[in-house]
Amino acid sequence: MPEKSGDVVQGTLDMLILKTLALESMHGYGIAVRIEQMSKGVFKVNAGSLFVALQRLQRAELIKSEWKESENKRRAKYYALTALGRKRLDTEARDWGRQVAAIARILEAS
Amino acid sequence: MRLLRTIATGLQSLLRRKKTEQDLDEELGAFLELAAEEKMNRGMSRKDALREVRLERGNLEVSKELVRSGSWESFVETCWRDLVYAARTLRKSPSFTFVAVLTLALGIGANTSIFSVVYGILLQPLPYQDASRLILLNETTPRVGTLSVSYPNFLDWRSQNSQFAQLAAVSDVGFNLAGVNEPEAIMGEAVSPNFLSLLGVKPFLGRDFDPSEEKASASPVLLLSYSLWQSHFGANPSALGRTIMLDGRGYTIIGVLPPNFRWPGKTDVLEPIGVWAAQNPEGVTQRGSRGDMVVLGRLASQATFAQARSEMEGIASRLAKEYPGANDQFGVVLKPIRDAFVSEMRPAILALFGAVIFVLLIACANVANLLLVRGSGRTREIALRLALGATRNRIIRQMLMESFLLALLGGAIGLFLAFVGIRGITGMIGPDRLSGATVEIKGVVLLFAAAIVAMATFIFGLVPALRSTKTNVLANLKEGSAGAGSGASQNRLRAVFVVAELALSLILLTGAGLMMKSLHLLLSVSPGFQPDRVLRMEMDLRSAQYDKDPAIRNFWKRVLDQVSTLPGVQSASVGTNAPMTDSHGRTDITVEGMPLPKPGSFPHPDVHVISPDYLATLGIPLLSGRNFAPADIESSQQVGIINAKLAKEYFPNGDAVGKRFMFGRPSTDAANWIEIVGVVGDTKLYGLTNPARLETYRPFLQAPRSEMDLLVKSSVDPAAMTSAIRAAIASIDKDQPIFAISTMNQLVSDSVSTRTFTLILLGLFSGLALVLAAIGIYGVISYSVAQRTRDIGIRIALGASRKDIFHNVVGLGLRLTLIGLLFGLIGAFAVTRVLSSLLYGVHSTDAVTFIAVSLVLVIVALLASYLPARRAMRIDPIVALRYE
Repeated sequence: MPEKSGDVVQGTLDMLILKTLALESMHGYGIAVRIEQMSKGVFKVNAGSLFVALQRLQRAELIKSEWKESENKRRAKYYALTALGRKRLDTEARDWGRQVAAIARILEAS
Repeated sequence: MRLLRTIATGLQSLLRRKKTEQDLDEELGAFLELAAEEKMNRGMSRKDALREVRLERGNLEVSKELVRSGSWESFVETCWRDLVYAARTLRKSPSFTFVAVLTLALGIGANTSIFSVVYGILLQPLPYQDASRLILLNETTPRVGTLSVSYPNFLDWRSQNSQFAQLAAVSDVGFNLAGVNEPEAIMGEAVSPNFLSLLGVKPFLGRDFDPSEEKASASPVLLLSYSLWQSHFGANPSALGRTIMLDGRGYTIIGVLPPNFRWPGKTDVLEPIGVWAAQNPEGVTQRGSRGDMVVLGRLASQATFAQARSEMEGIASRLAKEYPGANDQFGVVLKPIRDAFVSEMRPAILALFGAVIFVLLIACANVANLLLVRGSGRTREIALRLALGATRNRIIRQMLMESFLLALLGGAIGLFLAFVGIRGITGMIGPDRLSGATVEIKGVVLLFAAAIVAMATFIFGLVPALRSTKTNVLANLKEGSAGAGSGASQNRLRAVFVVAELALSLILLTGAGLMMKSLHLLLSVSPGFQPDRVLRMEMDLRSAQYDKDPAIRNFWKRVLDQVSTLPGVQSASVGTNAPMTDSHGRTDITVEGMPLPKPGSFPHPDVHVISPDYLATLGIPLLSGRNFAPADIESSQQVGIINAKLAKEYFPNGDAVGKRFMFGRPSTDAANWIEIVGVVGDTKLYGLTNPARLETYRPFLQAPRSEMDLLVKSSVDPAAMTSAIRAAIASIDKDQPIFAISTMNQLVSDSVSTRTFTLILLGLFSGLALVLAAIGIYGVISYSVAQRTRDIGIRIALGASRKDIFHNVVGLGLRLTLIGLLFGLIGAFAVTRVLSSLLYGVHSTDAVTFIAVSLVLVIVALLASYLPARRAMRIDPIVALRYE
């Protein structure tokens, strides 16, 4: 167990999931692992918050799901981005970039 | 669209819950397996791997719960569970549930009933297209006020104005309808052909009037009201084209009005104004002739009410200069059509609406009190649930669900009560004053009832729910007793509720008290005549056989001969404009020798044309001179009688008898002079609250009228005379209808019926309020006695006298009552003025009434605290100390 597991910044999990799915469709565990890998282990994704987010995104029609065979011959639910989800990811990434830059400026100024 | 889809998926997962659960199970299972597999690949045992995953990723059962509660349908589900739980807890305490539901049902039922009346009479949109642009126009003079419009003036208004898109003349007409059922009198309007299209109303069947039917050459046609078509023609479409006999003339039915058609006057039929014109040639040609005509206008698209009014005032003043003989001092008055439907009941209805809102608030306060008591009994249950991990919000939600269920049950029963109540209320109002308004439970009313249920839930539910969940878990679990919890502040809150209830009840009681006193004063006003055992009915001779004068006179003479010999009849007479009725005939008079006033300022008395027995039948006292005699006939000296008010104003020296007056403006024709032979007492012609007016009387043999009231004083119950009188009239003319049959006593009580109606309902509501408040104070006091049983037991054991205990408990009730009284009096002082227009002879802050109702409240409150006080007094210290 890692010494310190950073929770995902509030409200960004949806965006991270969308980003992960932008490359290829993936099942829940895959998404969790990918987020952890990409963040170099900074973020740890809890199953509860992950599946709540997946349900929310699916309800909002940003992602869609289907049951498929996984790489190790196990049935798993695969999630993929919808056109709407792709658009949302673009806008969120842009907004995020702006916000981060702004916050950085504030922190540097002080 | 998105929302719809969300709802659809939500519903889907609700309906296919098992499938959704399985899906979730499988997905999380796969997640667990995949994660574990990875660890096992690194050489971990399966058991360890699964443990690791759970530690890293969180408990999967908790995850499932999180996913489930993240969706709205799960909210619905928990609400449903709460509802079921609430139903179960309510069933476990049936007496609490019964009292709470009944209280709410009474409050909600009263509100729904009165709101139906408010909506039906005051709010319901009129069944016209764009009704806010419809205006009614009348003529007016400074002395008399609103008057009918003369037809020539209407024609000039129509051709000279620019602010109205259209104007239509509407004249009240009455007919004798014979040959369908029994002979009867019906009412209607003679209207310009554009009348219906101006209103935006289309006939239900048949055709509208044609523009050519404005001319006097039009052939007699008419439109039937929907109800007349139903009652007289069996709703048969073949009625179209049929000819019916009105006043002995044949009219062809060309159409039927829609069922929801409304007009301020009773409208059984519509005829085109051209047909009216053919029968009223002087009304068409003479500008000074003002019958029963009003003008209806629709504002032009850009015009405002103010513009229309100023333009019409300009036109009227031009017409007054142009035709001074007929129009001098005559102006014009405009009002929105809505005002013609707003009855004199408006203030009464609004006051009653305010009253039922008070009743509802009192009911809510009472139920809130009950819930507080229950809440304090449930502190342990709530503390336990909090300790087991329920969130406070969840418990509040659950308790609100209980309140909601109570309100819902109360609402359902209340709606049923309203169903009954509305029937009672419309019965009291009577169809005449409803003027076509329908008072029933409509969609809007249901919506209103639903809104009260929702509001009531929060009003009485929220405070107790917040209060009972704000507890110290540990303390409550430790404490042995079931209660006491946050005792002091709970009691304070309950006292506040009771004080509010008492204050609101006092306001209602004051209103009822003021109404009661007014009605009592009003009914002791002398109407100026003796209404006991007098029956009154109307007849209108309209058919051609009564066109010639002797026929009218002979008909009335025969009626008097026949009726006065009927057994049980003390005296029979005919007369016009009997007191307390709607029929009024007024005209200008010129008193000999008086300085000549301007045309609009002549004395304008009511004129009664009577048979000699009229004064005796109604018991109107003769003050000086003589009554009419059978010898006062057409060929003898024209004579008249005046009332005391006219005598006092124009003959202040008391020498009226022997002087002369004439009807209308001064004329040189000496034959027009009428000699005053007597002076009689004033009567309250226009209802008990209205002051006496100028009156003149003429013998019917000198001035025969075709429309007269038959008044019969009998030695028996007057209503029992009706059929004998009907038979007597039928033996003279079988086609002659008799209508508006009622006793004079009935007419007197009808004239105060708005007040009676208000008093009955206000009395009912304030009685209800008082009972609820009494229950409230009883509840608070007996609860505090129960809470203090031990304390009281100790005090008795230590030697306090039972009297002290009694005084102590009653004192608590008295304290609450006096505080409630204080606030109630302040409130009553502020709001009773809304009743001002309904009060008679008593000011809205009448001290006697205020004191009397305060006493009532104090006595009732003391009685309510007496019972628990007696119980406190009898507490046995040994039992009390052993208790717990």
